[in-house]
Amino acid sequence: MKFKTKLYIGFGFLFGLFITSYLVFIFVMEQLDKNTGEVVDNYEMLYLANTIESQMGTFSRESIGTIADPPPELVDQLDKNKEEAISNIHKAIAALERLDSRESSQELIQRLKEMSETYEAIEEEADQLRAEGNMEALKTLYWYEGRSAREEMMEVAKELQVLQQQTAAEKLNQSSDMYSLLKKMIVIYALVGFAIGVGMAIWTMRSITGNLNKVTTVMNKVAFRKSNKWPRIDISSKDEIGDIAVAFNEMAGTLEAHAREEEKLKHAAEEQSWLKTKVAEVATMYPGIDNLETLAQRFITKVTPMVGASYGVFYIRTSVDGEETFQKQAAYAYNHEDPAKDSFRLGEGIIGQCALEKRAMLMDHVPENYIRITSGLGSASPANVLVVPAEFQGEVLAVIELATLEPFKEGEKQLLKEVMGGIGINIKSIMRHMQIEKLLEESQSLTEELQLQQEELRTVNEQLEEQYENSEQKTKELEKIKLILEEKAQQLTLNSQYKSEFLANMSHELRTPLNSLLILAQMLAENASGNLTDKQVEYAKTIFSSGNDLLRLINDILDIAKVEAGKMEVIFEDVNIKDVQTFVETQFAPLAREKGVQLSVQLADELPETIYTDKQRLQQVLMNLLSNAFKFTHEGIVSLRVEKAQNKAARGPYTEADIAFIVKDTGIGIPKHKQEEIFEAFKQADGTISRKYGGTGLGLSISREIAHLLGGSIEVQSAEHQGSTFTLRVPQDQPHQQPEQSAASAEVAAGLPPQIEEPPPIKESHAAGSEKRSNSKTALLEGKKILIVDDDMRNIFALTTALESYHVDVLFAENGREGIDMLNGNPDIDLVLMDIMMPEINGFEAIRLIRKQAEFEQLPIIALTAKAMKDDRKRCIEAGASDYISKPVNLEQLFSTMRVWLYR
Amino acid sequence: MNNKIEAEKELETIEINLLLEGIYRYYGYDFRNYAGPFLNRRIWNRMRAENIATISSLQERVLHDPTAMKKLFRDFSINVTEMFRDPGFFLAFRTKVVPYLREQPSIRLWHVGCSTGEEVYSMAILLHEEGLYEKTRIYATDMNEEVLKEAENGEFPLHRMQLYTRNYLAAGGTTAFSEYYSAKDNHAVFHPFLTKNVVFAQHNLATDRSFNEFHVIICRNVLIYFDKILQNRVYHLLHNSLSPSGILGLGSKEGIKFANIVNSYEEVDPIEKLYRKIK
Repeated sequence: MKFKTKLYIGFGFLFGLFITSYLVFIFVMEQLDKNTGEVVDNYEMLYLANTIESQMGTFSRESIGTIADPPPELVDQLDKNKEEAISNIHKAIAALERLDSRESSQELIQRLKEMSETYEAIEEEADQLRAEGNMEALKTLYWYEGRSAREEMMEVAKELQVLQQQTAAEKLNQSSDMYSLLKKMIVIYALVGFAIGVGMAIWTMRSITGNLNKVTTVMNKVAFRKSNKWPRIDISSKDEIGDIAVAFNEMAGTLEAHAREEEKLKHAAEEQSWLKTKVAEVATMYPGIDNLETLAQRFITKVTPMVGASYGVFYIRTSVDGEETFQKQAAYAYNHEDPAKDSFRLGEGIIGQCALEKRAMLMDHVPENYIRITSGLGSASPANVLVVPAEFQGEVLAVIELATLEPFKEGEKQLLKEVMGGIGINIKSIMRHMQIEKLLEESQSLTEELQLQQEELRTVNEQLEEQYENSEQKTKELEKIKLILEEKAQQLTLNSQYKSEFLANMSHELRTPLNSLLILAQMLAENASGNLTDKQVEYAKTIFSSGNDLLRLINDILDIAKVEAGKMEVIFEDVNIKDVQTFVETQFAPLAREKGVQLSVQLADELPETIYTDKQRLQQVLMNLLSNAFKFTHEGIVSLRVEKAQNKAARGPYTEADIAFIVKDTGIGIPKHKQEEIFEAFKQADGTISRKYGGTGLGLSISREIAHLLGGSIEVQSAEHQGSTFTLRVPQDQPHQQPEQSAASAEVAAGLPPQIEEPPPIKESHAAGSEKRSNSKTALLEGKKILIVDDDMRNIFALTTALESYHVDVLFAENGREGIDMLNGNPDIDLVLMDIMMPEINGFEAIRLIRKQAEFEQLPIIALTAKAMKDDRKRCIEAGASDYISKPVNLEQLFSTMRVWLYR
Repeated sequence: MNNKIEAEKELETIEINLLLEGIYRYYGYDFRNYAGPFLNRRIWNRMRAENIATISSLQERVLHDPTAMKKLFRDFSINVTEMFRDPGFFLAFRTKVVPYLREQPSIRLWHVGCSTGEEVYSMAILLHEEGLYEKTRIYATDMNEEVLKEAENGEFPLHRMQLYTRNYLAAGGTTAFSEYYSAKDNHAVFHPFLTKNVVFAQHNLATDRSFNEFHVIICRNVLIYFDKILQNRVYHLLHNSLSPSGILGLGSKEGIKFANIVNSYEEVDPIEKLYRKIK
């Protein structure tokens, strides 16, 4: 039965019960009301009956009054009362007739009615009688006839009254019975209704709550249960609870399904989250890794267990000699006894193939002896071997190989795919980072190397500078010496000029008497008169030859003196070489014959016909050379060869246009160390030579001088006992300009040491320094021109006095303007001492103005500032002062500072 | 052709190694981890000066003739320095390191490779001007005893003083530079109070160990002479000699970025190469 039905039944029943009781009550009430009405009617009827009786009495009484001869004034009142009574009786009877429908009553009423009519008739008669005044008749009538009618009527009224009273009593009884019956009925009904109501309620409630409890219990069970297995409500009833149960069960089913679905999703999400966590875990490992070894090692160590593998190797791409190979970089649980290779080329083996194809490769059925995963307790061959590439922008940067005891799960493969994607970019970035790092490091080392070289260079520079200074100093010294020498040379030149002039004069003076002496001696020797003995002739000859020697000597001296005094004149003209040849041949052929030495004169083919030179001087030199050659040659050959000069041995600015006169002999030769000496005046190769061979030793000296005058030179090549070769070079055309100087500079150049000489050790330089130190206290200051700009004359005076004791040339100015003017007037000022606090143009301004002039940019300016003003110093430097010094000036400090800035 | 050059190069390397090994074994000077190109240049320089054709002949001479060794030693010991060299460094030291030093009850400063002492005097002047010199002890070391003697003298060539004055001013000098020296002929003689708290001592980074713990170590333009191995060794030596929060000052072209101690330092002034030890 449905819950609704039950409720309908229960409530309906109760409602029925309620309605029944209502109807019963209405009925009972009606009965009661009816009874009450009847009682009231009875009471009215009784009242009416009583009224009839009482009015009858009233009427009778009034009637009597009328009979008894009443005063006339009362007769009307009496009549009136009688009529009122009769009308009341009539009204009552009518009412009663209407009210009491009972037969017995009606009968009585009818009788009463009749009687009243009768009586009324009597009354009318009575009235008539009275009006007639027939009082006796009236009395009789009244007493007899009227009285019986009245009494009869009274009786009937009384009967009616009794009847009414009886009815009232009956009705009261009846009503009382009815009441008790009703009371009984109500009690019974109430009891029965209550019992049924309670029963009904209990039944309804029980039947509803029972099922509900079942539902709640189950639901409670659900509340406390977390599993996705929901309880079911076991109710077979077909009511709403049943429906609820069914609905609940259905819901439970759906929820279960949902929960299962959710579980599945949760699982998937968990897997995804695991994946993400692991990927993140791997990704968080990357920062801070800055080399591939660490990256590879950490990656393989982390990822291998993560994907459930028990063996892993990380191969990274490296370029070896331009070939790309995959090198084993790190491993997990690696067995070093494995025969696995450490490196694969692209396409080599599975590793190489994987890198080539850029895809993962899985090997399911790994043979027993492929690799073995070993632990302390045993070893097994893996179920799966997976080789995965790590790519970045389509480039395989690494390959990892993993082996598992169990096949890879899908999630693990997924994870592997994800992390491999991540490592690619990391490898690339580390590679780049490493590359950058390497480049940076290289640049750092290069910078350091540069700094190092710079320092080295500075050292070398300093050494060079020191050397330069030394050489500078030497140069200076040399220059000084040179100056002195020059001075001396000048003096000497002057002296020698005097000497030469003197000699020239002397020679002339000497020659004149000598000439006469020679002539006389010759004349004597000729012995024209024949009066001299042979002995005397011999003497005369000796005098002549000695005189000749003397003359030659004097001539030589004259020549050399002329040369040195610059008085030798050269006259350039075209000289035919053939003439030279003829001259030599004619001059020396006799001598050659005499000495038994062969003379050969050769002219080379390529020679020009003429040369532009001084013929006489050329012949003089050749004479000298050839006579020397003959002098020192006892046998063999003396040759003169004329040819174009060979440039190779030449020292100096000779050109191929030079003509060389080569005098060669086979004589005694000249030792090497003497070869230069022989050209010096009054020198011969050997002191003994003059004794043996005679000669003044001036010949070569003169020859060389003449050669120079001609713009040429004389060189010698010789070895002892092997003859000598003298080469005279003369220019073919114009003489070279300043040949001497060129030769000198060439000498200087050649005299330079071929390498940087090592610097003198610091110690020595110090020693040198201390030598310099001994110079004097005025060093660096002496002779310097210094400008003092100060508005206080006392300062100027004090400073000037102090500075002058150092032999400093002091200028002064009393203000900035004057100072600048002074500076412009004396641009050779070496240093300026500038007071800052001055009227007109102060020190800062003055310094600024000075610095504006380009020529004074480097001029040392020392500012004199008041010690208290700290800011002044900064301003001094900003204005362009080189240094500053505080006032009052400490003289020693001032001189130190001046030395620093005067140092050049 | 290439092979020949390579073979020559190889031979040169062998010869240099032998020379350095010989010097180390016989004289005790360890130049084995000096920067290769530097040694190469210096050795060739010596050989040119002495007119020696091969490194082996130089080796012979150096091993048998102590004066030749002395010369070579002098070649290897580059003593480039100047007062307030890189003024920015001294200015940075003044502004960034001095405040730290003020907090110290006493200061130990190690000047590594002080050469002829110019920078030691500069540091003394700086600390004097900052009122820290009295509580400071400067340990100035160099491997070359000759230059140490010079450093002790405190006499510097007059002709460099103009530059030094400019450096001094650029380094934030607070008074007149001439307060610190007097000129004697060609030298500026620095007042002896500047070396009152300075200890000059011979110390060879390649062979000697740490000898104290310092608040400041100045090692400028020393490491550039070394190869990477020795550089790292020296970095460790310096690191171990530095007190916690100690300051390390390097040369303008040097830097600890590639040294293995880089993580133990924070930059105080990256441009002037001032670092603070942090662990």
